[in-house]
This record gives sequence, structure tokens and C-alpha cells, in this order.
Amino acid sequence: MKRLSLVMSLLFLVTLLTAPLSAADNLEISIPLPLTGSQAKFGEMEKKSYIIAADEINAAGGIKGKKIVLEFEDSQGKPEISRAIAEKLIDVKKQPVIIGDYSSSCSKAIAAVAEERKTPYLVVTGAADDITQQNYKYVFRLNPSSAYYSSGLMSFMSEVVKPKSIAILYESSDFGTSGAKDMENQAAKTGMKVLVNEKYEKGAVDFKPVLSKLKATRPDVIYMVSYVMDAALLMKQIKELRIDAKLFAGGAAGFAIPEFIDNAKDAADYVVTSTLWSSQSSYPGAKEYAEKYKKMNGDYPSYHGAEAYSALFILKDTLERAKSWSSEDIRTAMKATDMMTAFGPIKFEDKDGYQNQNFMDTLVLQVIKGEHQTIWPKKYASAKYIYPIPTWRERR
Amino acid sequence: MTSVAIEVFLQTLIAGLLLGGLYALIGLGMTLIMGVMKIINLAHGELMMVGMYIAYWMFVLFNIDPYLSVFIATPILFFLGIALQKFLINPVLKVEAILPENQVILTVGIGMVLANLATIFFTSDYRSTPVSYATNAFYLSDYWKASPIELSLSVPWSVSFILAVIITISLWFFLARTDTGKSIRATAQDTDAALLMGVNVKLMRVVTFGIGSGLVGAAGCLFLPIYYLFPSLGGQFTLIAFVITILGGLGSTIGAIIGGLILGVFESMTATYIGMGWAPVGRFVIFVVCLIFLPGGVASLLKRKKLGK
Repeated sequence: MKRLSLVMSLLFLVTLLTAPLSAADNLEISIPLPLTGSQAKFGEMEKKSYIIAADEINAAGGIKGKKIVLEFEDSQGKPEISRAIAEKLIDVKKQPVIIGDYSSSCSKAIAAVAEERKTPYLVVTGAADDITQQNYKYVFRLNPSSAYYSSGLMSFMSEVVKPKSIAILYESSDFGTSGAKDMENQAAKTGMKVLVNEKYEKGAVDFKPVLSKLKATRPDVIYMVSYVMDAALLMKQIKELRIDAKLFAGGAAGFAIPEFIDNAKDAADYVVTSTLWSSQSSYPGAKEYAEKYKKMNGDYPSYHGAEAYSALFILKDTLERAKSWSSEDIRTAMKATDMMTAFGPIKFEDKDGYQNQNFMDTLVLQVIKGEHQTIWPKKYASAKYIYPIPTWRERR
Repeated sequence: MTSVAIEVFLQTLIAGLLLGGLYALIGLGMTLIMGVMKIINLAHGELMMVGMYIAYWMFVLFNIDPYLSVFIATPILFFLGIALQKFLINPVLKVEAILPENQVILTVGIGMVLANLATIFFTSDYRSTPVSYATNAFYLSDYWKASPIELSLSVPWSVSFILAVIITISLWFFLARTDTGKSIRATAQDTDAALLMGVNVKLMRVVTFGIGSGLVGAAGCLFLPIYYLFPSLGGQFTLIAFVITILGGLGSTIGAIIGGLILGVFESMTATYIGMGWAPVGRFVIFVVCLIFLPGGVASLLKRKKLGK
């Protein structure tokens, strides 16, 4: 055992000695991501986005003259592996700052290590509220926490629609349940009456029974949290039953991706949905990034990709402003971040029980003429919202 | 009851009957195979998935309407069923094994292979055929202006239902009137007697498996315009078919039709009056209640009545 560790440490020494020689003008950054396992789809998307960002930064001269060299560590979506990767990066590779990983649980594991080792960590996609509620000094988060996901939709509703009642339909998964619960709380806060609150099992064929019950209660808003095929099926059957509400709203996910419109066709018209980001966002660089991504991979990225893409620019901005590249100076510089990215404005604030959290407006999309348009907040809108929406009878 | 309550009830009933008609068609194929071969075909839902993919690609590649694909998918599934029976299930039927139901286990394997092949060839993406009439519907108020309630009847659901009824009737006609049909029924009732009467039992088994597969392939085509499609969709429909087969009374055609309708209506009523999350629970409540109190299914009720006369 002793001999093994001796060999190991010798090997490390050799790598440490040789690495700086070859990489004198390179900045090596290792990013933990789930590249295998059930979250691999998102890990892949983020990996590609990081690479796009690194190429752009390098083409423009790198960071203080140093080229970024990205490496990816597979965390498999498992917190214990994420933790081990973070320890390796900090203790062995002496990387002064960590970014990345996908899920909330993995981000949480890395955050604990980073805080303990006093190394700044930028959370890119983990959305669980408590990651930035632990009084961590070294943990920053660029994406809004999940409690703020529907904030844009809520402000659109309270300023434009002014609904008095709401019906909630949601898929009986973790994601659907938490989305519905969040909306329930928001409704209680704004004085909306929840008339129907129903969950359904994924893969349901026929929503018409529950929809006709919902129709009889005449809600102002119908809010649905679903994945893509259920979202399309729901809107199609709502059209069939001619259920008229002031607003049809979706909770991101299934409603916010182009497949929704492809499948629901004209039944998707005027449906609004909350989202963190869209490929038509008017943020500088958003469209260019989305187009570049689509050209390389054939599809538009979701907001996860935009978060990853922007994370590297935040890192660049921070490193350029930092006095030295020690963890302490990087932390100070990151704390002072105030910049615009393709994902939106980034500023790390301490408020509402959060520390180093980026608060931003989440967007509202509406399907207008068969396309998703950003309609809210007004300053980022790509089209004027359509409200009141025509009834089903008027549409034909 | 107020007019609103009546509207909700009637709309739920309509939805339940339409769904039940389609369920019946799915259940029929399994019931038929169960009756003749005394095995539960657990690859049933996967065969439906194959039918749906055929209809999907016919639509995407040649712009053939899913409803017309019934005439394409049914024969393909018929021959696929025959091949499965001849080359996979029959050899296993002959083998003396420790497990008495090893053919059933074989069908589970066939189902898995089909689902995974679909994943390899078509990826696990969700697909649907965006037919132009997908959301068209008839409205009561369009025909009767003064109607106090509004009811709607979806065009694709109605067409699927009517086609399901037509297919069911022609199956019934086939079983009741043709020689092959009679031979199948004879095999189902008593294999040994049928053998003694000169029925080619082996051939009948092969044909029955083909017909059962063809039926569920047709059901897949009818489902495509109103639902969507992904490789692992089979399991949930195998379960539905299984419940219907038990409810209808293992092997009874009329029992399966009534069982399908009961299940459809019951599921819809559960969704409206208890909660949609409870609909799958309702399905299994029916299943268990039926096993305990009515082990012979609907068919045993029908028989009892006949004897009483």
C-alpha cells in the first residue's frame, strides 16, 4: 500500500513538473458534468456549449493572453462522484475556481467541498433553493433558484391578466409536483382561487374527463406542468372541448420547446409559458449562440446550454478583473460581477435569504403565429403579447 | 342535477365509451390468443407499437393517412404474428420445461426485443402524426342552436371508434360464419375434441396468433391520430389488454368487448369524479374485484343468464 502511494505521488509529481512546461500559456479548466447516465443528454448539451464559448474566447485572444483548454470530468450525475472530482480539482490540480455540473444534488455536493477548501464555485444549472441559502461565501449561482422560475409569468399575470381563479393540472412526477406546489403558493399569495388541482399519470391517453370537469368550474387561468407530448395532447383536447379561459399557461419544460408547437399545431396558439431563456431572447449574443449551436448539432439548445455558454464568459470576466489568480482574489472579483451575457444580466446579490445569487427576470413566451415569441418582461420582448386571446369559436 | 353537472356527466360518458371501444379492440387480440392457446401474450402492447410505427412511417414517407394504414399494418402484423408463433412459440410449446408457463416468459422476451429494436432503429424520441383533422370536432350547439348544454365529439376519436366497431363486427362474423372461424372456436372450446373432428389444431393456433397480432396492429393505427408514439409504449397497453382479458373472462370475445367498454367508462368516471391521478388505480381495483368476485369475468355472467332462460 505504501509503495503504491509512493508510486502514485511520484506520478503526480512528474505530471505536475511536466504540465507547466507544456501549458505555460494555457489555462486548463476541468468541468464536472454528467456525460453518462440518465442526465447525459443535458451534460452533452452543456459540454458542447462550453466548447463553443471556449472557442470564441480563444479566437478573441483568450483570457489575459492565455488560451482556455477545457477538460471534462464525468460525474455520472452522482453526488459522491461530483464530490470526488471537486476534491481532485482543488487538492491535486490546484484549480483556483470551479464551475459546472448539472443537477442540484451534484452542485450541492461540490458547493460543500468548495466552501470547505475556500475555493470559489460557480453553480451553472442546479436549481434547488437551498444551494445558495447556506451562508456559503465561496458559492455563486448564475441561474435563478427554482422558487423564481415562474416569477416572470406571475408578473405578467398580475399586471396584464389579473386573474381571480386558476386551475392546475400537473404530471405526477417530482418536476410536475414541485411546479404545481409552487404555483399553489403563488396563487395563495396573490389571492387567486385554486378551483381544480389535479395530477395525472404520465402517458395518459384521454384528458377529456378531467378537462370537462375543469370546464364546468370556469377558471380564469389554466396552468399545466407537463412534458412535451402530454402538453400537446392537453392543448389539443382543450381545443376539442372548446374550453375558454383568459389564459392558457404552461410551466416551462414541455410547453417551452419547439416540439410542442409541431405536435399541437394550431391548438398551441396563444399559449404562454414561463422559461429561463429562449433562443429568440433579445440578450446580446443569445441568437448568435443559438444559431451556432443549431448549425453544429441540428437543434436549438434549451436554457441549460445558454447557462453553460454564459458561465465561461462570467469566468473570463472575473479572471480579467481579479488582482491575482488566487482563490481569494477570484472570489472578490466574482462577487463584484455585473455584466450582460447571452443568458441575461448577471449580478451576485445577497437578499431574501440567498447569498451570491443571481436574480433575474424569467421570461414568458407566447405562441404567436406558430412560433415562440418572448413577450415578458417588456424590455426583452421580441413581440407584443396578444391578450385577450380569442375564444375557440372565434378562431375558425 | 344542474345543466352543468349533466354536461360534465355526458361528456365523460362519451369520452369513456370512445376510449372503451378502442380498449376493446386492443383486448380482443389478446383474448383470442388466450382462448385458443391458453397463454397470455405479453408482447401484445409491443406488437401494437410495431403497428403504430408502420402507420407512422407510412404517413411520414408516403403521406398515407394512419386510418388507411390499417390495411397495410394489419397484414404485416398478421404475418409477423404467424412467424413469431411458428418459429419461436411453437418450438417452446413442445419442450418439456420446469416452468409450466415458459411460453408466456418467451412472449415477454419477444416484447423486450421488439421495444429495444425500435429504440435502436427509431431512437427513443416521442413522435406523433400531425394529421390535419387532429383537433376537429362536432359540437352539439352547432346543430341544435338552443341547446342548454355543449357537448363535443372529436372527429379522430369518433372515426377510430367506428373503425374499431367495424373491425370487431367483421371479426365476429369471421368467427361465427366461416369454416376457419368455426375451427378456431372449436379449438378454443376443446382442443382434443377439435382434433378428433379433424380440425388442424396446429394450423389454427398459428392463424389465431396471426389474427390476434393483426387486430392489435389495427388498433395501433387507430390510436396514432389521437395519441403519440415511442418505443417503450407497449407495456401500458399490454396491461390494459390483460385487465380486459381477465374482466371479459379469459377467451370470450363478447366478454372482451363488454370488458373494454366497462374499463373505458370506469376510467373516465374515475378521472372526473375522483381524480385523474386515480384512473390507473381504478383500473386495478376493477382487476382485483373481478378476480375475487367474478373469476369467470363478464362471460360467466352472460352464460348464467342464458342457462337461467
